[in-house]
Amino acid sequence: MNLPAGVEPDPGAALLALYDAALPEVYGYLLSRCGQRALAEDLTAETFLAAVEATGKRPPPEVSTAWLVGVARHKLADHWRRTEREQRGLRVVHSRPEEHDDPWDERLDVMTAREVLTGLGPHHRGALILRYLDGLPVPEVAKLLGRTVHATEALLVRARKAFKDAYESKEGRDV
Amino acid sequence: MSDPFDALREPVVPVDPDPRFAARLRARIERALLDTRGTTMTTPTLPRQGDAGYVSLRVPDIERAAAFYGSAFGWRYAEPAAPRGRQVQGLGMPHGMWEDQETRSLFVCYHVDDVRAAVERVRAAGGRAEEPSREAYGLISGCTDDQGIPFAVYEDSGEDRPAATSRQGEVVYLTVEVPDASAARAFYGSVLGWEFTPGGVQDGWRVRVADSEARPMAAIWGGRERAAVVAMYAVDDIGAAVARVRAAGGTSTDPERMPYGVTAECRDDQGIPFQMGQLF
Repeated sequence: MNLPAGVEPDPGAALLALYDAALPEVYGYLLSRCGQRALAEDLTAETFLAAVEATGKRPPPEVSTAWLVGVARHKLADHWRRTEREQRGLRVVHSRPEEHDDPWDERLDVMTAREVLTGLGPHHRGALILRYLDGLPVPEVAKLLGRTVHATEALLVRARKAFKDAYESKEGRDV
Repeated sequence: MSDPFDALREPVVPVDPDPRFAARLRARIERALLDTRGTTMTTPTLPRQGDAGYVSLRVPDIERAAAFYGSAFGWRYAEPAAPRGRQVQGLGMPHGMWEDQETRSLFVCYHVDDVRAAVERVRAAGGRAEEPSREAYGLISGCTDDQGIPFAVYEDSGEDRPAATSRQGEVVYLTVEVPDASAARAFYGSVLGWEFTPGGVQDGWRVRVADSEARPMAAIWGGRERAAVVAMYAVDDIGAAVARVRAAGGTSTDPERMPYGVTAECRDDQGIPFQMGQLF
């Protein structure tokens, strides 16, 4: 965009101009990751309102659909963290020996996989979605979840184990 | 070897939400944009990247310090949440104290726009930074600069912040004292975006944030033996304040007239340096 010297583009106006095009992307991302319409709407609203706040900062962000999806991913990670915290109080926490990630040869049935994912605890679900559905590298997953890379690797090992167990028992039950 | 989990990969597929929801959200965004613009103009005291938003005095003996500063500035403290900590009540910029045998410095938390990015900058500039942790007020990371001064970077929500004042006991000036000023300028310049103008003393540098004075005002002072941050506290009557400091077991120079006020150089009864200023 060519602007006369000294005139800055207004990121707020840019956000409004982008709204109609970006909304289905943001909402589509959130709906596919959380699977509930009401929750996806709440998180979509949170995303855009956080974007409004960010446009008031200096330097302002470069407003784009990709940036908004990134904001949505943060909101989703925050949501999982909240849910995880609420549920942690209810679970009996017992330490388990360090688990190793054993290679798993299985062609995943995507429909079953999605069902299994929905049934996992929020911290496992979140880690797997960011790592595998979104295809993010581990350090980025770690940032979003507010954990160290090491802790995230360990979490992914446990999440994969939980997923595998749930998947196999579902397969077993279905046959 | 292919990972079966790779089959889960799912690019974003756009989905149109309920049009009523879309319309309601658009209206909320328009309102929020108006509010944000309004706020930025009417509350210029929101911290900017590089401004100090919280300070805490690291002292060897917390009880002694609480008593000393209580008599020097009339500070009152909130019911302590931890035996090693105190919070001063009624100041514009929150001020705490923390018992720590080693530091003997003011611990300053600087506001940044993005803690994770700031952590990267601290490390790249030769400092140390902990992984950010999420506290009730937002993300924060404890750091140490490349000359050994501990500090923190955090994201200030700006909520419920009282307006800055220069009433008695308020920090009105921060001096980052270091052996090597050019190293400190490079460090804080890259981490916090500080810029500098030459100050009134040899190897002293006034800090500028976003093209204006840092809030509170700040400076880097080089050629000092020890690296530490020293606060200047506002006082109503410098003569009386000097007498109170001495009576409480501290030391103070006689008041000296400066272009901006009358000041004194002090040490508390545990040897921690600070300044007092009756500003014009």
